[in-house]
Amino acid sequence: MKTTGETIVTKDILVLGGGIAGIQSSLDLAEMGFKVYLVERLPSIGGKMAQLDKTFPTNDCAI
Amino acid sequence: MLDVGRHPNIKLLAYSELEKLTGEAGNFTATVRKKARYVEEDKCTGCGACREVCPTPVIDLYNEGHARRKAIYSWFAQGIPSTHTIDPDHCRVLTGKKCGICQKKCQAGAINFEQKDTVLELPVGAVILATGYDVFDPEQIPEYRYKEIDNVVTAMEFERFLSASGPTEGHVYRPSDRKVKAEIAELDNKVRKSLKGLEKFEKDHGMTSAEFYAAHQNGSLNPTEALEKDRDKWVERYSAHLEHETPLLALKEKAKGFKSAKKLAFIQCVGSRDLRFYPFCSGYCCMHAIKEAIISHEHDNDTRSVIFGMDIRAVGKGFEEYKIRGGNNSNIVYKRSRVAEITKDGDERPVVIYEDTKEQKVKKEAFDLVILATACGPVKGAGKIAETLDIQMDRFGFFKTDPANPLDTTRAGVFVCGCAHSPMDIPESVAQASSAAARAVQAVMKKTDQKAS
Repeated sequence: MKTTGETIVTKDILVLGGGIAGIQSSLDLAEMGFKVYLVERLPSIGGKMAQLDKTFPTNDCAI
Repeated sequence: MLDVGRHPNIKLLAYSELEKLTGEAGNFTATVRKKARYVEEDKCTGCGACREVCPTPVIDLYNEGHARRKAIYSWFAQGIPSTHTIDPDHCRVLTGKKCGICQKKCQAGAINFEQKDTVLELPVGAVILATGYDVFDPEQIPEYRYKEIDNVVTAMEFERFLSASGPTEGHVYRPSDRKVKAEIAELDNKVRKSLKGLEKFEKDHGMTSAEFYAAHQNGSLNPTEALEKDRDKWVERYSAHLEHETPLLALKEKAKGFKSAKKLAFIQCVGSRDLRFYPFCSGYCCMHAIKEAIISHEHDNDTRSVIFGMDIRAVGKGFEEYKIRGGNNSNIVYKRSRVAEITKDGDERPVVIYEDTKEQKVKKEAFDLVILATACGPVKGAGKIAETLDIQMDRFGFFKTDPANPLDTTRAGVFVCGCAHSPMDIPESVAQASSAAARAVQAVMKKTDQKAS
């Protein structure tokens, strides 16, 4: 988004890291109507949590 | 994860890295390098046909090095995006050799060895840093003999063993046993080849190689002219065959006794709460160990686990109950102690030497598998990230924050959450991530208001 003033101002947000924290931030922002760039170093998102079999304390599946 | 790939407001830039961040809060320009995958993202259907034909095996880091993937791969089966990627360090074509079999196999025509990195300039108002963590390298504690003893693994490696999609398909086989099985497979291959080489002689001369060799050895061989001609070659080939077959049979005999690991030791605070390394508590490892012990018991009801820790820190909603349930229902014993050393007995079993602080006695106990709860440390390359973003780190390498504004880094408009901030578990990471999203919105809205007025 731009304003007509001298400085260009944007509401877009950059999220660095596609683990559980980055995914949650991105989804929250996207649901609020903000445009998000989610940058992940590896070929797929998921981070360490994608390596977990189950999560405590509910023993739910991680992905 | 799937929602991220689908959401119209999220532009997912996987396999990419931030190179530069200029400007100020509300008006940053982020330079992002999207690395070449050598696979066209919009064409690849993720079918995996390329992966099957690729001849180059590579150590799979997603499975903590306990499996092999191919040079063309998807990071894990359900990965988002599902696009495959070619590893430029191992691919035959990209390292200047002849191949390209994946390109021939790909029906979508997605493989493009000429693909180049693309550099994007993104105007953004705020940045959220969620770069996570890396676990402590237990080789720094030589008395635990990680890597030296095969059956001493990290909690993350064990996590992959427990996973149905992992290298052992959810069975807890000891790494030393898997090593023997890999050797058997390799020798089996060699023996099969050498048997083929002996077949012609056996057919031509009407006797088995063993019979021929025995006769040759004790001098009872009455060679025909043709046999005399083949004699030396046959002896040579059969000796070479025996060189593989003898150890193969011995290993096969040994493998008959292999069982899955049933007696597990979990060692807590490996690198954390340790003044030599990280003095702080990682927060999640006690619960992680309990979870792994409970899951192991679910897989196999004969599994017994001992968790060695200074104390069990179960401080979260429902955590204490989980710990007690584990002790009551899942054969878990919590032992208050600090493990001094791990050695090995004759059967590749790790022996844990520890002081039982209740009885004030030094004890020794052998286990099938030892699992190290490695500390949560800063992500590798945190220094470079800090430099790129021009933010400060704390003395351990996590990004510096102010106690009054715990998600604000030292640069306005840049926020941090999750384990990039400090060690924390999943529920806390998720809560912090939502907070960081709110902080980022405040930053861009405030700036927009100011500029508009």
